[in-house]
Amino acid sequence: MRLGPDMKIQIKIIGPLMYAAGFSEKEMDVPAGTTVDGLTVLIGIPKERPRIVTRNGAAVSPDGALAEGDKIAVSPIYSGG
Amino acid sequence: MVGWTGYFLRVNLTSKTWKKEAFSEEFAHKWVGGRGFAVKILFDEVRPGIDPLGPENKFIVALGPIAGIPAPNTGKAVVAAISPLTGFYGDGNLGTRVAEHLRKAGYDALIVEGKADHPTMLYIEDDKVEFLPADEVWGQGTYACNDWIYAKYGKGVGVLNIGQGGENMARFAVVRSLEGRAGGRPGVGAVMGSKLLKAVVVKGSRPIPQADPAAMKALGSGDLRKVGQIDKQSGWSIQSTTGVLPFCNEVAGLPVRNFRKTSHPDAWKVDGERCNNARVATYGCPTCTMRCGITVLDDEGRESELDYENVALLGPNLEIFDLPKVASLNYLCDEYGLDTMSAGCVLSFYADAIDHGATSGDFRFGDAKRAKELLGLAARREGPLGNLLADGSLRMARAFGHNSEAYAMQVKGLEVAAYNCKFIPGQALAFGVAAIGAHHREAWIITFEIKHTTRESYGPEKAAKVIELQRIRGGMFEFLVSCRFPWIENGWPLDNYPKYFNTVTGLDWSLDDMWRVADRIYAMIKLHYLRQFPQADRTGDYPPRVWFDPSNADTEGPIAGKFLEEDKYDGMLQHYYDQRGYDRRGIPTKATLLALGLAEEAAAVEKVAVLT
Repeated sequence: MRLGPDMKIQIKIIGPLMYAAGFSEKEMDVPAGTTVDGLTVLIGIPKERPRIVTRNGAAVSPDGALAEGDKIAVSPIYSGG
Repeated sequence: MVGWTGYFLRVNLTSKTWKKEAFSEEFAHKWVGGRGFAVKILFDEVRPGIDPLGPENKFIVALGPIAGIPAPNTGKAVVAAISPLTGFYGDGNLGTRVAEHLRKAGYDALIVEGKADHPTMLYIEDDKVEFLPADEVWGQGTYACNDWIYAKYGKGVGVLNIGQGGENMARFAVVRSLEGRAGGRPGVGAVMGSKLLKAVVVKGSRPIPQADPAAMKALGSGDLRKVGQIDKQSGWSIQSTTGVLPFCNEVAGLPVRNFRKTSHPDAWKVDGERCNNARVATYGCPTCTMRCGITVLDDEGRESELDYENVALLGPNLEIFDLPKVASLNYLCDEYGLDTMSAGCVLSFYADAIDHGATSGDFRFGDAKRAKELLGLAARREGPLGNLLADGSLRMARAFGHNSEAYAMQVKGLEVAAYNCKFIPGQALAFGVAAIGAHHREAWIITFEIKHTTRESYGPEKAAKVIELQRIRGGMFEFLVSCRFPWIENGWPLDNYPKYFNTVTGLDWSLDDMWRVADRIYAMIKLHYLRQFPQADRTGDYPPRVWFDPSNADTEGPIAGKFLEEDKYDGMLQHYYDQRGYDRRGIPTKATLLALGLAEEAAAVEKVAVLT
């Protein structure tokens, strides 16, 4: 897949996934057309780690494309203690 | 009968007598243990209408067939009584060495009756029971009391105790165990206090009866190691439950300012990363390889053990975002033996009621100093304000009037755990139909709602998910008695639990057999409720009314303008009743009760209330 010029997103990594990614929050430049799954690979979270990804507070599917200014959060699947 | 000791220990504090009481195999198979034993004993032995803080109430410690046996994570006990907060059956579980010791002493449950004539510590060692004076520690907190007990008996014994909150019968006082945490949110600690029972100490020395002890030892020990390895891989216990705080903040599910807001830009200051960074020690229950208690220093240099609910409800919910100050409020709750969740909701409700002119007072959101003082007043029931706070948010709202009950964050009198369901309909249902009031222990479906359904849905799939989780979390884990965390947080397969049960008992049960017992227990708790409140209707299963209020909707963020729609909630509630076999009041039908083997209990209830 051909990806376009970079766009800026904000990303927050929640819980122990932050130790896999090596950071908890930052602004990132990603190529236009990057998908949610593509982003998690880009930041070093292994594909097999169960997770939920939200965009602006709502869940987004793995193949969802990111857009300029998105606020993305990647969290483990919590179960409420 | 193998796998159970086959005995209860019945103790009467009034007469200072005790007896070892056998129970039948049929009883064991029907109720299994823990919550199952407690719900049945209290139904049979405590008549409706008694004063929960009077001598007729009973304090129960109940264990299950795998409790105390080395396996993931069995160091837990259920404590129960008729609740002084909600008026009907109430319980909770907590990590404690009592689980192992009481079973080694030869008992599957302890039933405490009557009332002592002076502060008492009950000491149980195999076939010996002593009623010892506890005047020396009456008036002291749980830490000092625990030190006093350890100095007498050493650190290996099992201990349950109460602080000043329990002694003074604050309605949300808990039972504490320093080897684990606290349990009995609906005031089980107050029931101990009403009996002048400061502590229970247990030391057992006999083997726990098992069908195949060698097989269980190999299986349990190996699985404990595996759970520890899985946890290391997942990293869950690095932040443990506190990791969920930023998730709730992100999806507009965090309680902020008495649940008025669902997120806050400063929430990160008390999140899991900050809790882990501030960690000075790690705390865990007995028989656990994924210890979840993050201990930090509070603003007075005291060690305070945190988890998500404590942080969220004593922090953001009070608009306090300074971790040592939040830890200080948590420490005081633990010292006084108050439930941290109810304490957070009681204080936030008080500030909100002042804000809305329902009462007057000097407490404002963000005021940690005054919050500390108020916790002390509540624990000591000091003055009119202390008495008011100690009674919990529902009674406070009824005293305040001005429609403040709408934002008293409770269901059936029990304060809501730390998930803001302003627009999370399925979790609102989970709180509404939680057996003992708004506890998160029984069903938590927020990730399911957000990831696998739409947040807007009020469909039958959400009711089904609540029931599925109630059977597992409020059912199986509470009657076997074991911690749910290996399964819920680290994916330890559920079918291990029938395996443990069968290895211990020699039976051949499946998960379906477990669900049947779980359904029976849920129906029994409803019978407790109906017997106490014969006019009960479905509104008892509604969440706090403020969640239905359009004017309370968020003005920005992911759920801006959204609120729970009452008619749709009611429809989802009906899905739950239909799937459970309950009538339109939310009470099990006669047919359901008969199918669950509860004919005798149904007949008892029909003497005071209507069944359909």
